[in-house]
Amino acid sequence: MTQLLRTHLYDEHVKLGAKIVPFAGWDMPVQYTSVKDEVLAVRNNIGVFDVSHMGEFFIEGKDAEAFADYLVTNDILSAPNGKAIYSPLCREDGTVVDDLIVYKLAPGRVMICVNASNIEKDFNWMKSKHSGFDCSFTNLSNVFSLLALQGPKAFDTLKPLVNELPELEYYSVFETKIGQHPVILARTGYTGEDGFEIFGTHQTIKDLWQKLIAAGVTPCGLAARDVLRLEVCYPLYGHELNDEVNPFDAGLSWTVKLNKTKFIGKDVLQNKPSKYKLIKLQLDKGIPREGYPVLNSKNEIVGQVTSGTMSVVTNKGICLARIQIDKAPADEVFSIDIRTKAYPAQLIKKPFVTGGHK
Amino acid sequence: MATNIPSNLKYTKEHEWALVEGDTVAVGITDFAQSALGDIVFVEVPDVGSDLKIGGTFGVVESIKSVSDLYSPVTGEVVAKNSDVEGSPEKINENAYESWLIKVKIKDSSEINKLLSAEQYQEFCNSSH
Repeated sequence: MTQLLRTHLYDEHVKLGAKIVPFAGWDMPVQYTSVKDEVLAVRNNIGVFDVSHMGEFFIEGKDAEAFADYLVTNDILSAPNGKAIYSPLCREDGTVVDDLIVYKLAPGRVMICVNASNIEKDFNWMKSKHSGFDCSFTNLSNVFSLLALQGPKAFDTLKPLVNELPELEYYSVFETKIGQHPVILARTGYTGEDGFEIFGTHQTIKDLWQKLIAAGVTPCGLAARDVLRLEVCYPLYGHELNDEVNPFDAGLSWTVKLNKTKFIGKDVLQNKPSKYKLIKLQLDKGIPREGYPVLNSKNEIVGQVTSGTMSVVTNKGICLARIQIDKAPADEVFSIDIRTKAYPAQLIKKPFVTGGHK
Repeated sequence: MATNIPSNLKYTKEHEWALVEGDTVAVGITDFAQSALGDIVFVEVPDVGSDLKIGGTFGVVESIKSVSDLYSPVTGEVVAKNSDVEGSPEKINENAYESWLIKVKIKDSSEINKLLSAEQYQEFCNSSH
């Protein structure tokens, strides 16, 4: 077995009594005290996640924006500097290599943040497309640690701890310092709440983590993070997205800008009708889990749950499910097969929980 | 870990406890199990009248993150289920040993001797975790 990697905050997690589990090749904190308490801290107050396992790539030079724009399906070129843009990264056949965030730090300077489990795959893929672009492309994942500070009190908590914090819009990015140490602050996150993702060197981030914990911020683990993202219906690679589906199959048509001149996957995506769609289902009784079959009113299988849990906020079973479009029932009546019993599931059009982000 | 193991109960290696009361046993999950699971949000147990086999699954407890099967400590018929705990599964986190899930009428009393004593269960928890 390969040795699991540890973030530079590992000892801090152990000190706080975290339960540590293997995740994407890393030893990560899954929870500290209670998943419920951690979810509610983020929804109502403030919580902090160590997400240093995620990857950071930098593109620098004249063609930095053009290279990023060619790689991903969303529109990077038209976005102003200082913006963060969520996007799938596709192959020529439209399948999804990963989903990521592109940060336009400055003219000719772009950062991309990718999922931990896909760092090597993404870097090799992007590197193979790099020739012809006048820019450097580097993987600095080992140089950066990353915190996600999330919740309605994020701005007020962070402001006194950094040299400067303007009223950033949601999904924008800003470079500043903590003392003498440079940090990248993005008003982004994976919880639906207001908050910041803070990129810096390992020591800078460790110092910040300790200050946040001392200030009473709730440390939150991956289990709470998964509930939070599912309550607001954000997709997770390996569940809603994978090497076999395209962005349309996962409800991400808003991220595919077919009016762009060129990008990898455009030729196929502009002609490809989706086979699947992603739906939201809610249950009064029973908890849907990944892989459970989704049934129509005649108890025929029409799809599968891709992620499911008990919502901490609504106290109901909630899930995202991938169903075959040609089997989608016109009456919109669904149930979920839980241990061979069909539990009624209500089709929901909006996210299960409305996050408070600005 | 696993310090809360009452000496009057019997245990399984799947972390159920069993309280023998005459010819029935009350069955729940141990403090160790509830602590490992975290916030328990759903319990599913069989209806009264169901037949259970020793070591067979009889239901599930679910935390926010996971589903765990429940294993019957004895063979017999379900004579009661705890609807309080079904309705408020967090009671298991609050006090695992007061939150019995089902009561089973024992068919073969010699099966009780196959269960672990408190000491044996303590040792099992220490060695396997």
